[in-house]
Amino acid sequence: MDPRVQAYARVLVDCIEPRPGWQVLVRSQPPGRPLVEEVVRELGRRGARALVRLGFDAVGGVFTRFAPLELISNPPDIELQEIGSADSYMAIVAPENTRAGADVPAERLSARQAALRGPHLPFLMDEKPWVGCYFPTTAAAQDAGLGLAAFEDFLYGAVLIDWHELREKMERIAQHFDRAETVRIVGAETDLTFSLAGREGKVDALAANMPGGEIFYSPVEDTAEGTISYLEYPACYLGHEVDGVRLRFDGGTIVEASATSDEEFLLGALDTDEGARRLGEFGIGCNPGIQRHIRNTLFDEKMEGTVHLAIGTGFPQIGGMNSSGIHWDMVKELRNGGRIELDGVVVQENGVWALS
Amino acid sequence: MGAVLDPRVEEYARLLVERSLAVQPGWQVMIVATPSSRPLVEELVRQLARAGAWPLVRLSYVDQEQVPFDSLWATEAPEELLGTMAPIEARTREELDAWLLIFGSENTRGATVLSAQRRQKLRQAYVPFNQRRLAPGFPWVGCLYPTEALAQEAGMTLADYADFVYGACLLDWERERERMSGYAERFDAGETVRIVGGGTDLTLSIVGRSGLVDDAHYNVPGGEFFYSPVEDSAEGVIEFSEFPAVYQGAICEGVRLRFEAGKVVDASARANEDYLIGALDTDEGARRLGELGIGCNPGIQRHTRNTLFDEKIDGTVHLALGAGLAFVGGLNQSAVHWDMVKDLRRGGRIELDGVVVQQDGAWAL
Repeated sequence: MDPRVQAYARVLVDCIEPRPGWQVLVRSQPPGRPLVEEVVRELGRRGARALVRLGFDAVGGVFTRFAPLELISNPPDIELQEIGSADSYMAIVAPENTRAGADVPAERLSARQAALRGPHLPFLMDEKPWVGCYFPTTAAAQDAGLGLAAFEDFLYGAVLIDWHELREKMERIAQHFDRAETVRIVGAETDLTFSLAGREGKVDALAANMPGGEIFYSPVEDTAEGTISYLEYPACYLGHEVDGVRLRFDGGTIVEASATSDEEFLLGALDTDEGARRLGEFGIGCNPGIQRHIRNTLFDEKMEGTVHLAIGTGFPQIGGMNSSGIHWDMVKELRNGGRIELDGVVVQENGVWALS
Repeated sequence: MGAVLDPRVEEYARLLVERSLAVQPGWQVMIVATPSSRPLVEELVRQLARAGAWPLVRLSYVDQEQVPFDSLWATEAPEELLGTMAPIEARTREELDAWLLIFGSENTRGATVLSAQRRQKLRQAYVPFNQRRLAPGFPWVGCLYPTEALAQEAGMTLADYADFVYGACLLDWERERERMSGYAERFDAGETVRIVGGGTDLTLSIVGRSGLVDDAHYNVPGGEFFYSPVEDSAEGVIEFSEFPAVYQGAICEGVRLRFEAGKVVDASARANEDYLIGALDTDEGARRLGELGIGCNPGIQRHTRNTLFDEKIDGTVHLALGAGLAFVGGLNQSAVHWDMVKDLRRGGRIELDGVVVQQDGAWAL
């Protein structure tokens, strides 16, 4: 077996730091076998219990497709209790086909999400630890535009890094942003400012995402002004890839939006609800193992030398107040002449930090 | 998953949902399966949803693993945790309305290697749910989905094996129920059963015990009626010379057992005798009989090294060493329940209180 799988399993268990006796839900799909098995062993070694729940896809399978909507909206007591009583959970995405849920009507997916939201709240609010990650399958490699071996190298390069060292580095950077008020992002066809006044950032290292490697904020909701153009990478969301997204903000709200492909999907997303036209997140990618875009937000948003802004719902646990049914992260490359300014001082140029 | 669903899968799932479990709206139904059984699992989920019930699918790579991955977990976990289930798992099994197990091995030799002591502890964790499941009235069923590994074990191609499986499972079960009930009534009224065949002359008592007909309720395929014989009554010799005795992946050829006052006092095998003796020495109850079953499934004519099917071969009987079946009055306790199948179709017979009731596998009732 690839020895990196065992190292990866240890990193994942480090993300949740189980105490002896904890009940840890481990969700995955059948191709995740090597990693799921190592995680189960590692949980056992640490005295925690593993409750493995494999599904044929990540959206509830044929039940979500065929069950009466009423049954989906009222999950069984056993499932609610299980999520509610779990001390922690892991979601190991191991797709056989990354479009396996594409035929499930949105109405059914959102009914399922809404029904399971209650018992998941302690996780969403960071009261209980969880981690989401990928196992390198051929399907995930295909989406990334890579062969399996190259994708494995990429993935393990992003997750098997010195997390303690990266955490310290990100904490030092975050201190500067915590103290500052105005952020300005300048880059290709981009000049955008917004405020972080009164907001504290969060450093993602050995936490809810693996790979982690970002510092993120929920910006003050009515402060974004200016324009940002996502020219370097498509904006990926719910299986869509929108090229050349350009957004103009006024008083925190998007007042003008365009794209060079699939513009209709972009405009539809912005019209989802009131909050969809405001920013929920500003994140700074810091993972040195991620140097390329693979059209998978979990990885792309951590790319070193990029920033990302999410339209839609914010993070209440770090002061975010925007609420929306969407949260769409879009990644902006800054290594091509871009820069970040904090209260008028350049802190990063061409993706390189200029901080003490 | 194959793009085209074998239409027999739908009929099979309907049998399990409507007849075996008689699923009611609002039920929470656990399905224990392997990823290899996907077509049947998905069809069951579809039909449960239509019936207004909730499926709780528990997939594991290890066949028949009731708590997914628990034997792998048990190789590493602190030993003191093994004897009880995780509270979430225990509570789930207290609340379940029905339970369905699909045999669907992807490797019939793929069980996790776990030390005997740890395996023993882990078995303790299953006791509360097994008691609930085997109490009268709780709907459960064990069935099988044809996989390459099971076909291989049976010595068949997958296509032939699938024909064999569906041929055994998709029967007119009402007709089978009537037929088997007729035989069982005679046995219920009898006392002493004598089994005579190649190298075999064994008597045992079923006095005061009544049999149960499996007409696709506990197992699919069904097709047997069975008793827990009076524990101290077996006398004589039985030789399982026609088929190997198969248990938890192990295979013993030519098993010969001699009973005195219900207990195995002499045991031998042509191959893998050590395993046989080890099983008999598991505990006190392992040397006594827990079950006498009579195979009646007309769709099963050959041995496939899988007890779920072999014990139902028409014209055979089977005796299980070890645990008795409490729901038919069995008292014997053991961690073992090893069904061994004896072919009576060539020169064998069953006598009931001195009267021949079956000769060469054909009923004389």
